[in-house]
Amino acid sequence: MLVAFILALTVQAAPDAATRIDQIDTCLTCHGDETLEVTLENGDTQSLFISHEVFARSVHGDKLSCVDCHTDMVEIPHETRAFSSRREISLAYYEQCKRCHFQNYAKTLDSVHDTALARGDTTAPLCVDCHGAHDVAPPNQPRTRISQTCASCHAGVSAVFARSVHGRALVDTGSADVPTCTDCHRSHDVAGPHAGNWIDRTPELCASCHADTPLMEKYGLSTLVHQTYLTDFHGVTARLRRSDRDRDQPVIARCTDCHGVHDIMKVDDPESPVIRANLVKTCQRCHADATENFPAAWLSHYEPTWERAPLVAAVTLAYKFLIPFMMGGLILQILLHVWRVVVNR
Amino acid sequence: MSRTYIRFTPRQRLEHAAMMTVFTLLVVTGLPQKFFEASLSVWILDLLGGVDRARWIHRACGLAFTGLALLHVGWVLSDVLRGRAGLSMVPTRKDFTDAVVTLRFYLGVSNEQTRFDRFDYRQKFEYWGLILGSVVVILTGLILLWPVTVATYLPGEVIPAAKVAHSNEGLLAFLTIAVWHIYNAHFNPDVFPFDTTIFTGRISEERMHHEHPLELERILHGPGGTHGTPGAPHDLEPGAPPAPGNGGDRRA
Repeated sequence: MLVAFILALTVQAAPDAATRIDQIDTCLTCHGDETLEVTLENGDTQSLFISHEVFARSVHGDKLSCVDCHTDMVEIPHETRAFSSRREISLAYYEQCKRCHFQNYAKTLDSVHDTALARGDTTAPLCVDCHGAHDVAPPNQPRTRISQTCASCHAGVSAVFARSVHGRALVDTGSADVPTCTDCHRSHDVAGPHAGNWIDRTPELCASCHADTPLMEKYGLSTLVHQTYLTDFHGVTARLRRSDRDRDQPVIARCTDCHGVHDIMKVDDPESPVIRANLVKTCQRCHADATENFPAAWLSHYEPTWERAPLVAAVTLAYKFLIPFMMGGLILQILLHVWRVVVNR
Repeated sequence: MSRTYIRFTPRQRLEHAAMMTVFTLLVVTGLPQKFFEASLSVWILDLLGGVDRARWIHRACGLAFTGLALLHVGWVLSDVLRGRAGLSMVPTRKDFTDAVVTLRFYLGVSNEQTRFDRFDYRQKFEYWGLILGSVVVILTGLILLWPVTVATYLPGEVIPAAKVAHSNEGLLAFLTIAVWHIYNAHFNPDVFPFDTTIFTGRISEERMHHEHPLELERILHGPGGTHGTPGAPHDLEPGAPPAPGNGGDRRA
């Protein structure tokens, strides 16, 4: 009893390197055989070979041994496991990661991926689908790896992203300034446009970079884009629509409605939906009968200065004088009247 | 019981009540859109059931306001053309001298007080201010209601300009009513706490004597009176029912 207790303690405490390698080598006695494989019920062939080198290079290579994840393998030879498919194996081991990575596991419970899994969609990604199993590597090194990981399922959208202004900068220069998939969709609590307030949050999402002055100055971009949007009709509506009661109302343009989503282009790219030549078409998506004059109703994220929008600037200025002048005069006359009444009493 | 005169016809009283209701609704649904960052605005819009419903109310009231304004112009024109009403609201040279004399009196520069006719210069100023303001809010409101159609014929920049004009003119109208009109109709020591004339249609003889002496003289002595405006019949509508007990005071 005492011995068993001490043994348990030893297993719980981080095993020293020698013990760990011993444990791994014990497993590799069988699993080091490259030809070791098993045919599953559905016809899948599952290789049971584990390369010690590959595992040693993984982030867990100097930390874990086989039984840290394969906790059910307590004796040799271990009993035969009845898996009907390769996917079933992954699903069976899905919950092992949370023993160490509980926080990230908990986040995945809020993800679209978990929603799909809960729906019974077994193709929904599990930890190992993105991170790998025995070859777990830092998921963001190099940074381009992130979009490649997502592309293994989301190939179409990934190809579109790769052609966008963000995607090109990411692929061509490995820039850390442009967003990759996880910057907008997050990594473990992955969300998409069907998430409750995803669309509401779009302006904030874009603003997390486009309202960042030092970052935007680097590329000669204006940070006014966010502020001017928020004070324009579209932005004000989007902002005030936050209350749930308005959810069934028609769409109000948010950043992505004009600029695109995964296919965002530079504003001076001939393909950009917001370049002057394409703007009417973009407006027509919501304002079906819009004509050539209509896009000028939108001040293109510029403040209404005398150069950009003289009429708007003139009207703004006129009221800046008119309102104080009128109200000043009226209030003055009221005060004089009150004063006269008081004096005459 | 002191004598009263009929100052406003039932139609005019109804016009005021309708305008007051529509204007209040326009302010309640409009200003929160202008001051969208204020928490009070968000609270009001939530109370109304969201910004989209507030806009729906605002647009409906805007069209009602337009209708009332057109009706008013129509009624005034028809009354004037048929000789049932005078041009008592038209600003005259006397209004400018009245304003100067009154301000000198307020400032204590002189003891001279002016005598007003049916409408004094302040009432004319407010009336014409409302008319001009209505033209601005109605035109810009229609532009904002149908931006796509407007941009078919006019430059697109007209639309953001109309938005600036509409919201500022609305604010100016609200401030004028909230400060100037409410003072004159409620807090003015002459009428405090409530000038009921626009609702009952009646004004006391004392107030007529004090505030509209020229009109009173005209009513009592006919248009040939020394202080009457020559050729301008007073606005008391002959068809209106006479106030009980003082029917003889009205010029029929």
